Amino acid sequence: MTSQVTPYAIGTALQRLDGRSKVTGTAPYAFERVVDNATYLHPVQATIALGQITAIDTAEAEALDGVITILTHVNAPRLASTEDRELAVLQTDRVSFRGQLIGAVIADTPETARQAAGLVRISYAQWPHEAELSSERSDLYTPEAVNPSFPADTDEGDVDTAMSAAPVTLDTTYTTPLEYNNPMEPHTTVALWNDHELTLYDSTQGAHTVRTTVAPVIGLDPERIHVSAPHVGGGFGSKGIPHAHIVLAALAARTVEGRPVKFALTRQQMFSLAGHRTPTIQRVRLAADTDGRLSALAHDVVEWTSKVKEFAEQTAVPSRNVYAAPNRRTSHRLAALDVPVPSWMRAPGECPGMFGPEVAVDEMALKCGIDPVEFRARNEPDVDPETGKPFSSRHLVECLREGADRFGWHHRDPTPASRTERGWLVGTGVASSIYPTLRAVSTATIRVEAADHYRVDIGATDIGTGTWTALTQIAADALEVPVGHVDLRIGETAQPEASVAGGSTGNATWGTAIVEAARALQDTHGRPPEIGAEASGTTPNNPETERFAMFAHGAQFAEVRVHADTGEIRVPRMLGVFAAGRIINPRTAHSQFIGGMTMGLSMALHEVGVLDTRFGHVVNHDFAEYHIPTNADVGDIDATWIDEDDPYVNPMGAKGIGEIGIVGAAAAIANAAHHATGIRLRELPITPDALLR
Amino acid sequence: MDFLRPTHWRDALDAKAHHPDATPIAGGTDVMVEINFGRRRPSTLLDLTGVPELTDWSLDDGRLRIGAGVPYARLIDELGDRLPGLAIASRTVGSPQIRNRGTLGGNLASASPAGDGHPPLLASDAEVEVQSLRGTRTVPVGEFFTGVKRHVLADDELIAAVHVAPATGAQQFSKIGTRNAMVIAVCTFAVALHPEQQRVGTGLGSAAPTPRPATEAAEFLAAELTDTDQWNRPRPLPESVVRRFGELVAATTAPIDDVRGTANYRTHAMAVMARRTLGWVWNEHRTGRQQCA
Ligand SMILES: Cc1cc2nc3c(=O)[nH]c(=O)nc-3n(C[C@H](O)[C@H](O)[C@H](O)COP(=O)(O)OP(=O)(O)OC[C@H]3O[C@@H](n4cnc5c(N)ncnc54)[C@H](O)[C@@H]3O)c2cc1C
Repeated sequence: MTSQVTPYAIGTALQRLDGRSKVTGTAPYAFERVVDNATYLHPVQATIALGQITAIDTAEAEALDGVITILTHVNAPRLASTEDRELAVLQTDRVSFRGQLIGAVIADTPETARQAAGLVRISYAQWPHEAELSSERSDLYTPEAVNPSFPADTDEGDVDTAMSAAPVTLDTTYTTPLEYNNPMEPHTTVALWNDHELTLYDSTQGAHTVRTTVAPVIGLDPERIHVSAPHVGGGFGSKGIPHAHIVLAALAARTVEGRPVKFALTRQQMFSLAGHRTPTIQRVRLAADTDGRLSALAHDVVEWTSKVKEFAEQTAVPSRNVYAAPNRRTSHRLAALDVPVPSWMRAPGECPGMFGPEVAVDEMALKCGIDPVEFRARNEPDVDPETGKPFSSRHLVECLREGADRFGWHHRDPTPASRTERGWLVGTGVASSIYPTLRAVSTATIRVEAADHYRVDIGATDIGTGTWTALTQIAADALEVPVGHVDLRIGETAQPEASVAGGSTGNATWGTAIVEAARALQDTHGRPPEIGAEASGTTPNNPETERFAMFAHGAQFAEVRVHADTGEIRVPRMLGVFAAGRIINPRTAHSQFIGGMTMGLSMALHEVGVLDTRFGHVVNHDFAEYHIPTNADVGDIDATWIDEDDPYVNPMGAKGIGEIGIVGAAAAIANAAHHATGIRLRELPITPDALLR
Repeated sequence: MDFLRPTHWRDALDAKAHHPDATPIAGGTDVMVEINFGRRRPSTLLDLTGVPELTDWSLDDGRLRIGAGVPYARLIDELGDRLPGLAIASRTVGSPQIRNRGTLGGNLASASPAGDGHPPLLASDAEVEVQSLRGTRTVPVGEFFTGVKRHVLADDELIAAVHVAPATGAQQFSKIGTRNAMVIAVCTFAVALHPEQQRVGTGLGSAAPTPRPATEAAEFLAAELTDTDQWNRPRPLPESVVRRFGELVAATTAPIDDVRGTANYRTHAMAVMARRTLGWVWNEHRTGRQQCA
């Protein structure tokens, strides 16, 4: 058992400490940093999907007043390492995807840079490219591991035999489309190179991650790279793994040494340069007895990666842990295509991977004539099906039951298409959520500045999630002082090294480091520690992970209305009930949950990147055409949670909650749409034409 | 790029005559998007927002004359009672910001098949007042559009105003989109009853290369109402009439498949919207109470 911090500030709905500065516009975002003598970068992007640059004519662009320099592969500084091919910008004449960075104009104003970029003439030798994902492709391959390091395939028992022996079976394919993270704040970097020191004001999920990623690429000692990201306007994973634009900004800064280079991606550029979620094709097979007990569960996924760099979304991984089924198979097959590099997007793996199976489970429950909540409860495992370890805590069934009560599930007539109100078919649906409870390694330092002033330094990030507030609460309780005595500093490489805000690991990792530092301070300097005392702490390995499997769980409920004549679809109501350990701050946690659920609603009804495979570009590459919900699409969305006492995960007893809210939400909506209409939707997004008989 | 900013209508016409390639800009909610996306690089912008004549509306001889520069927000606030169909359509346009900036003239001149202002204007037999230094002409809105994003304006002409009679009967508008706001229509339909003329007006949007009326459907319904003396003594409409109206409206479509919806879906939905809006206007005609979706 991990020795637990006594919660005092933890668990209170403290208002965001950064709220006032954000709403008054004084919180500095990367691009707004005031710098002297700024230059502006506008990139030149490839307009073919595959080939070679044969000629570049920059004469007209260079002639423009205010253009400082134009970088292309011909004149760009050489990088120290081109091993990471996504980051190896301007190093060769090869074009590997449409939209690739192939040049940069640096100018005195953003307008000049943009205009000049449009005047750069590129000639190509174009080669036939491939951008079509299909499960029929002959070149599908098995990755060595899936994100971050799970085995690609698992096989237990004998799925085929179980399938042929079972009275009830299902073998169906589900798909999710190409999706984009689209944080509100675009990816922006301000880079300044001065005397072998590089300063980056960057919109990132990890200041230290940027430093350690960029250092070997440009060949600078990490200590000479200074990254600052105190406030970030969303990331959803797309700012987790540093992308090529940061390297381009660094190269540009080196070229105009002494002058800062400002570079903000446009929304359209984000569609080729900031990562995306691969489309997925998911074959799900289930076998059950007539009581609805699963004897087999197979989840076989086909998805894409880029030829430039492999990213294998772990879509089938959640199927290894959710339900008991003695015969179990999961697999991932990739098509490497001439497309931009996919990357993390909120709950990579779990989010798409809990769509197919959770719709399949709904179909199976119906086949067995069992209520979908009850069906899930019957397949609740005693121990983690994958490892055989007990769960440190697991309240999935409690979430389902509590949600069913609160949502009014029990009044439901299970017959599909049985309820109509004024021309609208009404249905309800449910799905489970699961997300692993992980943690990384970080270091925090605490210094007693005065009797009522504890300065806490950790290079963590707040991407809009509430880190500033939650870590202050954790530090206060770890130090046993009021929150007002804590002076938290985050977002800089000047602070001790901290992990990326990703994988819902932030609070668990950073909070544990802070607790360790507080304990070190008290152990070496007594209570209260004397003024001037200082101590550091680092997140230790958690020995409990040897004994326990650790996950957060949840249940998603949705009500859907489908117009009988037009197929128009509305989601007036969603409820999520989660079990995620101790909730550090109910206010910010609620926002994370309902934000995730809203993004799940978006996935269910709106989001799809329409790839024109002939040219390799996404046609709807802006907010006019890549739809996310408007206020008018979002009804009554609420989230609540079960108090879960888990002394094994970390000293706060808290599990990560940034991602679980999106997991299962789209399946709950698709299941509700089926209940409303009797039409089974196995393909996202769900559009009105799919709901017409 | 030259930027011309006349402050009198006469100067605007003069500028357009001398710069026939100039792109007029009113609210800019279409023009600026096109410039921003590099689809258009006008050599000259002719800013009409300084021309006060364009932002007026008046009632002369029983007909409304609405300046081309009147934005949606004012159509809703100031003319919602007299042009309910246009007001309902205006409420579905974009967001509050777009409704504050975007104008009826801009909507017409963009001539998008999906322009939400067009169907109600068609249903009310509106006319477009077009001017140049050469003079003035009025074009029935049904003849204004010549193709996708094309219209009858000559290089030296500007839209001065739209002429339309205030509603004498119930009017409705229906729009289907892939989300609930800020959305380009999958398809739209407008219907207006003109009891004093014993006529029905219709307008279809996003269902053909140009907005168009469903003339046969409108004539069928008007004849039906006249034959059964329902203009003055309205009764519930027989289901067969409502269905036939929907079928005739659907038969008017010539839609395409695109990312927003399939052609089949559009044709189907058009019949549904025709029946739906007919139900609403007929109810209002019978009870005097406006319905909303
Ligand atoms: C976010 C967003 C949402 C939108 N949503 C909708 C929607 O829901 N429904 C819809 O129908 N439209 C929508 N639009 C499109 C646009 O707002 C409308 O078409 C609007 O009516 C255009 O008017 P404007 O005054 O802004 O035109 P501008 O952009 O200024 O001009 C449009 C065109 O008209 C020409 N023009 C303008 N005035 C005159 C004149 N007096 N004489 C001759 N030519 C002229 C211009 O040269 C240009 O070709 C949306 C646009 C945006 C950006």
